Amino acid sequence: MATSWPKKRRLIGTKIQRLDGPVKATGKAKYSYDINRPGMLHAVLLRCPHAHAKIKSLDAADAEKMPGVKAIYAIKKAGEELYWAGEEILGLAADTEEHALDAVRAVKIEYEVLPHIVKEEDALKEDRKTVSPVGGKRDNVLAAKDAADDAFDKGMTDAAVKVEGSYGVPVVCHQCLESHGLVAEWGEDGGLTVWASTQAVWGTAVELARYFAGKYKIDLPAEKVKCITHYMGGGFGSKFGPDIQGLVAAELARTAKAPVKLMLDRASEIVAGGNRPSAYGKVRIGATKDGKITAYEVDCYGTPGVGVTDTVTFNALPYVYPIAYKRKHTRIRTNAAMQRAMRAPNHPQNCTLTEFILDDLAAKLGMDPLQLRLKNLPQNDAEKAKIAPHSLDALKNTIYTREIEIAAALSKWKEKWHPPGKTDGVVKHGIGMALHTWGGQASPQSNECTVTIHADGSVVARTSTQDLGTGQRTVTALVTAEILGLEPGQITLEFGESTFGASTGSGGSTTIPSQSPATLRAATAARDDLFAKVAPKLDAKPEDLIVGVEGKILDKAKNKPWTWKEICARLDKEQAKGTGFWNYGESIKPDNRDVSSSGVGGVQIAEVLVDTETGVVRCTRIVAVQDCGMVVNPLTCESQVAGGVIMGLNYALFEERIMDRATGRMVNPDMEFYKLGGIEDMPQIVVHLHDMPERGVIGVGEPPVISTHAAIGNAIFNAIGARVGQTPFTPERVLAALAAKGGKR
Amino acid sequence: MSDTQGRTPLEAALSRRDFLRTTGAAAAATAALAETPAAFAEAAPANLSVKGMGPQPIKLTLDVNDASVTTAVEPRVTLLDALRNYLDVTGCKRVCDRGTCGACTVMVDGKPIYSCTMLAVEAEGKKIKTAESLIDGGKLDAVPAAFVKYDAQQCGFCTPGFVVAMRAAFDKNPRATPAEIEEALSGNICRCGTYQQMRDAIAELCNKQKKGG
Repeated sequence: MATSWPKKRRLIGTKIQRLDGPVKATGKAKYSYDINRPGMLHAVLLRCPHAHAKIKSLDAADAEKMPGVKAIYAIKKAGEELYWAGEEILGLAADTEEHALDAVRAVKIEYEVLPHIVKEEDALKEDRKTVSPVGGKRDNVLAAKDAADDAFDKGMTDAAVKVEGSYGVPVVCHQCLESHGLVAEWGEDGGLTVWASTQAVWGTAVELARYFAGKYKIDLPAEKVKCITHYMGGGFGSKFGPDIQGLVAAELARTAKAPVKLMLDRASEIVAGGNRPSAYGKVRIGATKDGKITAYEVDCYGTPGVGVTDTVTFNALPYVYPIAYKRKHTRIRTNAAMQRAMRAPNHPQNCTLTEFILDDLAAKLGMDPLQLRLKNLPQNDAEKAKIAPHSLDALKNTIYTREIEIAAALSKWKEKWHPPGKTDGVVKHGIGMALHTWGGQASPQSNECTVTIHADGSVVARTSTQDLGTGQRTVTALVTAEILGLEPGQITLEFGESTFGASTGSGGSTTIPSQSPATLRAATAARDDLFAKVAPKLDAKPEDLIVGVEGKILDKAKNKPWTWKEICARLDKEQAKGTGFWNYGESIKPDNRDVSSSGVGGVQIAEVLVDTETGVVRCTRIVAVQDCGMVVNPLTCESQVAGGVIMGLNYALFEERIMDRATGRMVNPDMEFYKLGGIEDMPQIVVHLHDMPERGVIGVGEPPVISTHAAIGNAIFNAIGARVGQTPFTPERVLAALAAKGGKR
Repeated sequence: MSDTQGRTPLEAALSRRDFLRTTGAAAAATAALAETPAAFAEAAPANLSVKGMGPQPIKLTLDVNDASVTTAVEPRVTLLDALRNYLDVTGCKRVCDRGTCGACTVMVDGKPIYSCTMLAVEAEGKKIKTAESLIDGGKLDAVPAAFVKYDAQQCGFCTPGFVVAMRAAFDKNPRATPAEIEEALSGNICRCGTYQQMRDAIAELCNKQKKGG
């Protein structure tokens, strides 16, 4: 049967407060870090202090005898090599955290220190082959990928105007406030329960079951592992699966026969808890005199740490704009923790390598960069429109053009934009913009939801999915309440436990477009089941019962209203139940189209003040225009967008992982020198949701973070007429750019 | 090269909090030389105003959210850890653990402090209030209520710290301006980026206070 959203929507599209707001704001919500179990032990990890070393000897005998120590688990043994400062060696659990910290210092370990490379440019100068072997090779610099469009050569040759520049973004860290980790407890039945700080509740349980069943040959089906994540303190792409600290905690709990808590300390969280890869590139662009871009060339590199993945989205360079291209990307493996997915993985890098040079080109052409963008936007794809009329491909030009218009109006672009550097005074004003795109479709694997209606009128919505702070819990209640004619607060949520059905990790902005339709189906099925069961007792036909206004159930045939309680009471000892699932496959069935779809645009305009004497940049205002199909809860949706903008502002002005060449360690694994903005650093943020309900639900967690730093960078260029090409835009870099320009202020 | 606890200089320098721990452990080492803490106390000069304590856990009575609670912690344990690990009061969160981020903010005798920078033993005899005190039988204090209304929280891990700092700022000056409240929050960090909504909450609270006054 076809699935569709109600034509008239009572709650969807209205601002609904978070149901868990009060418990979170008053500290009553129990996060994984807050779980204290009877007899619980505290565990810590011993990490390698060297960027590259071999363990000569490892002796934990003294540590084992330290007060309160209950279990030790060696991750690495003598003879093994370690490839980054912070790599895990051993886990230890003791009765108190103090005892665990004392004991881990008593572990005797000798290292043979080996050469390391932690900076991309050092590897480019000399490949010392310092990383773990992949396919038998230890090369720091991997073979470059390259590709070119047939039209590129002609495009560049024919270009009347050419511009080139160097741009880049460093490695930044996820810096989740609740660190990675979990509490593990084995039950008498041989089952395992974990309270994990994860953005993949169901996947974490499955992975733990597979690991322990395989390793110890024990009967541990996934249903005997329960992962609980009622509240989660930030993930941003770095918290999928149990991770090494989760496995170690469960190992220690198994040995000690007691619950074990292992949460990373702050330095470990920053060093090992996830980072976004860097991207630095030389970019060249060619255009006609009237601003039609004819060719784009990029040669870029970046480091995924000891990983091997791309640090840009190679096939999407240039970003957003369809231009004849030539591209080259080099991955540089360094002795640092492997990169992890970070909020719109690789899109901010692509945005950097595309959006900056657009403004540099506009300056050379003497054009308004907004007009340059309008001139080079992708066209609507008529072929795609035939298959999926509401897809981004079908609507790209329409959506971006409209969003640019809205953003321009909200930012007063026409009045505020001026040619780059053409302002008087020491403190200069600038305005700049950037575009982005993202997917946000339903997940390939199914998400499930169950809605149960009881005779007392209570309703339970059950799903294993997680709420990372996105407001998913509230959305599940909101959709259920919409269908049943109730208020969100009337829905009881059974949420964030792996035994509540299948769900997928919150990655790729896939949660809301997967979960909302599953909830819609479950609530609809539960409603139909309710009507089928109570109709005979009401002397009515099930098809005559409808959800009317003000929570009343109406018998259409007799025009008789019933209250929800009266209807549910007829269930007697029964209950009404409905289940629903959704995935990408369901979303593209012709019957289900426009329940959830894929692809968003987004435009951001930033204003800055740049002090040309100190180099200090202050961002004063950001306008963010974002589409995400049908907005389910505008309150939490606006929060997502504003939050993305703030994270993007942090990338622009503050964040950088700084590695020390000599020791190979990160020098700012803290919150003093790995900076994040506070409330006083914040600009005014204007969020405009470009609501397109006809497109169905699309995820919005990631896209708003992508283009903020580029908009700010372009605003700085507009202010001072000199390009600061690398984030963060520190006073030092701003002053250097001014000096390079020739001291003309 | 390593210090008395076998740490490298970098590790030793890593955290101010570790400094507190080291101080505690150093006292413990001195005590061990004198065989027992009691002997150490006896051997101390009569004019020494500070009495050594530990390294064993010492009994402690704290006044937390208007309840008197008793536990035993080593002297090196911070107020934050005593609350979280020994008393199961977890509204104060451990994030940076060195006095930077504000997630562990509690009120001690009405003043907002980072509970990771105070030893539990120092908090005896003082009135400690955590975010949990700002809800009373389902009735929300105006500050967390404004956070909920304007959605000034996402993951919520930093939120109790912000809420306590803001409550303390309004307690100190009920007529505080939004700029003054923002200044009072400048020792707190949010990663999800909820500042815009926090400003909405602040605007309403300042407005209400103005009208109320």
